Amino acid sequence: MTVIPRAATPTDRERTTRAVWLAGLGLLLLILPKLIYPVLALDILAWGLFAVAFDLLFGFSGLLSFGHAAFWGSSAYVTASLLSHGQSVPVALLGGTLSALALAVPVAFLSVRSSGIYFSMITLAFAQMISFLALQWTDLTGGENGLQGFDRPSVLGLDFSNSTTRYYVCLLLFAVGFAVAWRTVRSPFGRAQQAVRDNEPRAQSIGYDPQRFKFTAFLISATLAGLAGSMYTFGHGVVSLEVVNWRTSGEVVMMTLLGGTTTLVGPVIGAGLVLLLRDQLTTANLPVGIVTGIVFVLVVLFFRRGVVGTVQHWTRRK
Amino acid sequence: MKIKTLTALLITTALSAAHAQTLSDNAVKIGVLTDLSGVYSELSGQGSVKAAQMAADDFMKANKAYAGKVSVTGVDHQNKADVASNKAAEMIDRQNVDMMVDMPTSSTALAATEIGRQKKVISMVVTGGTTALTNEKCNKYTFHYAYDNYMLANGTGTAITKRGGSSWYIIYPNYAFGQDLNRQMTAAVQENGGKLVAPSDATPFPNTDFSTYLLKAQSLKPKIFGTMQAGNDLVNVVKQYNEFGLKKQGIGLGIGLLFETDVAALGQDAYAGALATVPWFWNFDARSRVWAAKFEKAFGKKPTWAQAGVYSATTTYLNAVMRAKTDNSDAVVKELEGSSFDDFFARHASIRPQDHRVLLDVHTVMVKAKADAKEPGDIYTRLSTIPAAKAFMPLAESKCKMQ
Amino acid sequence: MNTQLFLIQVFNGLVNGAFYAMLSLGLAVIFGMLRIVNFAHGALYMLGAFTAFALGQAFGLGFWPALIIAPILVGLLGAVLERTLLSRLYGLEPSYNLLLTFGLTLLTQDLVKQVMLSRFAVSSAPYSPPAALSGVVNLGFVVFPKYRLFVIALSLVVCMLTWFVIEKTRVGSIIRASTENPGVTRAFGIDVGKWVTGVFAVGVGLAGLAGVLAAPIYSVEPYMGAELIITTFAVVVIGGLGSILGSVITGFAVGVLAAVGAAFYPPIANTLVFILMFVVLLVRPSGLFGLPEGAR
Repeated sequence: MTVIPRAATPTDRERTTRAVWLAGLGLLLLILPKLIYPVLALDILAWGLFAVAFDLLFGFSGLLSFGHAAFWGSSAYVTASLLSHGQSVPVALLGGTLSALALAVPVAFLSVRSSGIYFSMITLAFAQMISFLALQWTDLTGGENGLQGFDRPSVLGLDFSNSTTRYYVCLLLFAVGFAVAWRTVRSPFGRAQQAVRDNEPRAQSIGYDPQRFKFTAFLISATLAGLAGSMYTFGHGVVSLEVVNWRTSGEVVMMTLLGGTTTLVGPVIGAGLVLLLRDQLTTANLPVGIVTGIVFVLVVLFFRRGVVGTVQHWTRRK
Repeated sequence: MKIKTLTALLITTALSAAHAQTLSDNAVKIGVLTDLSGVYSELSGQGSVKAAQMAADDFMKANKAYAGKVSVTGVDHQNKADVASNKAAEMIDRQNVDMMVDMPTSSTALAATEIGRQKKVISMVVTGGTTALTNEKCNKYTFHYAYDNYMLANGTGTAITKRGGSSWYIIYPNYAFGQDLNRQMTAAVQENGGKLVAPSDATPFPNTDFSTYLLKAQSLKPKIFGTMQAGNDLVNVVKQYNEFGLKKQGIGLGIGLLFETDVAALGQDAYAGALATVPWFWNFDARSRVWAAKFEKAFGKKPTWAQAGVYSATTTYLNAVMRAKTDNSDAVVKELEGSSFDDFFARHASIRPQDHRVLLDVHTVMVKAKADAKEPGDIYTRLSTIPAAKAFMPLAESKCKMQ
Repeated sequence: MNTQLFLIQVFNGLVNGAFYAMLSLGLAVIFGMLRIVNFAHGALYMLGAFTAFALGQAFGLGFWPALIIAPILVGLLGAVLERTLLSRLYGLEPSYNLLLTFGLTLLTQDLVKQVMLSRFAVSSAPYSPPAALSGVVNLGFVVFPKYRLFVIALSLVVCMLTWFVIEKTRVGSIIRASTENPGVTRAFGIDVGKWVTGVFAVGVGLAGLAGVLAAPIYSVEPYMGAELIITTFAVVVIGGLGSILGSVITGFAVGVLAAVGAAFYPPIANTLVFILMFVVLLVRPSGLFGLPEGAR
């Protein structure tokens, strides 16, 4: 007897729906810099991948991390620091991503032993500590001034001072990260991961080690969050303490929920919606916190399936 | 022939004077990049946007050639460096903004001015205070108005020590701003013959409870307890300074960075007798009062020095545009560099070409007790004015390498 | 460190610990009954402080009436939130309630900020200790503000009272019963839902009370609870969720340890509680007073 989650045996119809979603997202991302300001489009890529990474843990492992800003932020800082020390863009991106992985090892080790609310509080506390560290460790982070004005030397003739060029480089990285997430949830590992989420004792009884699955899922998630963080630095050319703030951890949760958990496409759409809203609020005379707070509450109460989940729910019922 | 050329020349000159013809898209656009919704919104925020608008209106009224050609937009950077950098780039690329002004908080100011440097657009930083703007991060298109850490510490440290505050105990928040302020303050105290009764203490940041340090001050009995905290940390320090009764024990209060909003947060009695340095306050003389009254009529509240600074910076920029007869940044920078001016806010002001520090007179003030206030909003007594030439970091100390 | 400095730091730590204890006690009470972690606890603490200020401005009420009225108002608001919002999510993953209360935190903070700015024109509200408790008292080894001694004493009384009610009274036994087995308790004819609302109200009322107590000594501003709640979470993780007495003891102990530690090396004060949390997690993953995961 094996545990067979539904995702393992998709119907043809589900397969088609999924292909339609993927193609739609791909197309949208390809033309995005034509539709909106390119730097904002870059933001959507970075945050979108961050939300996908978060969903890998929340949606597919049932672990609500309230401290994912730690991985996103530390990677953003390391990337910026490498760039300002004259390293090339690929080295900086890789260095940032790996730093997130390195940080994730001890955090995952200590936190996956707990579950539910406990897990959330522990990850939040870890992230808070990283945030204090970032403020103190000014050599790496520039403290409250942040880091800015570092070079992004061109590679293979690509001029990174052009935001559209940066966008398409990031789109490539995004595709890689997204593919990793996509493969992970559909691999035997991913199925086992979801089995652990749905019924831990049962998964355990058939020989899975839940801790090990959670630990690995955590590492993959944190590494992808790191890749997203380094894309963010590369895209903006600016890093500040905001990247390690607890609000950042909350924001990625909101993006994921709004777009739809366990859909992978959803978090990207959620990220896009939140960022567009935030952008609108810079000139509207409305306080950001009140608007995002209301959106958050409404989504949790009435819209837990998120945009993509809701649409899927409707199409399935027809 | 000669007459013809002369006539043509005359006509051209007349035309350029009449139309200010070399403006990009035939308009000067000013972007107020500020905090419209967060903790600094009371200090700058909508008031800064209003002040910039007033500056534009006054300028257009005085220079008919520009009538209808100067516009102001306010953008909320939400105190996030990435939003500030995005919005700066977008304002420049999409709305053809020619100058950015205000920029509270160091990280947003540095992020936005970096974009300004890349895109050759002038920034007038008023509410952001980091000295990095005129040191490591200085650049051709960035000007630093109003205040900075050096001026605050130097002004307050010197003034208090000269008034007999010869022994100090200083605490500072343990991050770059606080460390910087502590260094400057300590130097100013020692240069003027004062001494520190104990090494300065670094406090955690952010922090709510300062009892450890207040109790230490109680036992050290310095004449002055110097606090380099800012914002909410400062409010906590002052609240607890009163609670522990330090004033009654004869320990005075010296403050690194004091905004009008900090005083409002506890009421002026909590601060009564405390000394600080400010670039301006609304009722320090008749000229200031005239402008403040105008602002209050338009906005409904008394101006903070940040808002007055935005007005002054915007005016200074617009006057340079008029002299340069273009809003081309390189030409305007040339006009601004080395120029001298004097308005209700910036007294005996000039712009140092080497690092783009705007030099102006600043004032050391003592907070009045409520009972001594002659009218609403009357919070400061001016103790002394530090002349523009002495108020800021000497050029020799600056790390700026202007390109 | 000499004895005098040590004693001083113990007193300073007890003041901070009083706030940790009252907040984590409220969290523990709520968690025990509802199995949710209330992220909005920090925002409600802030609301307690702000209400005390607003009562003074609007009705001229001083500290003493505010000390009674503000926690009741915050508790009532809690009851309304529980009935109208939280109750919709029972039966789902408890994470959703954490998220809901996170959203409420963002909302509450910025609403209060708007009210403060537009109605009172301040970004942080002035508030002073009551006349009877202002000034300092000489304890021999240190001159300490009277008000802070009052904070320590009152919070001890409140914490003990809460513990007593839950462990030793009939009301407490009903609460404990419906916590442990809602079905059976209902079969005995007890309306569990009603008790849930009441317990939530009391839990957040404790946060409101802590807020009023904080108003005279800390800056009353919209974000005053934001950092505090995260620290309190770490305290809760150290102590272990669900234990009433454990949360109180841990709260005071962490406050004192952090203050004594900070005397050696001040910058560590912010991070010390998190370092403590690591150590405890390594040794006892379910916290000092918590039951192992399986037993819960």
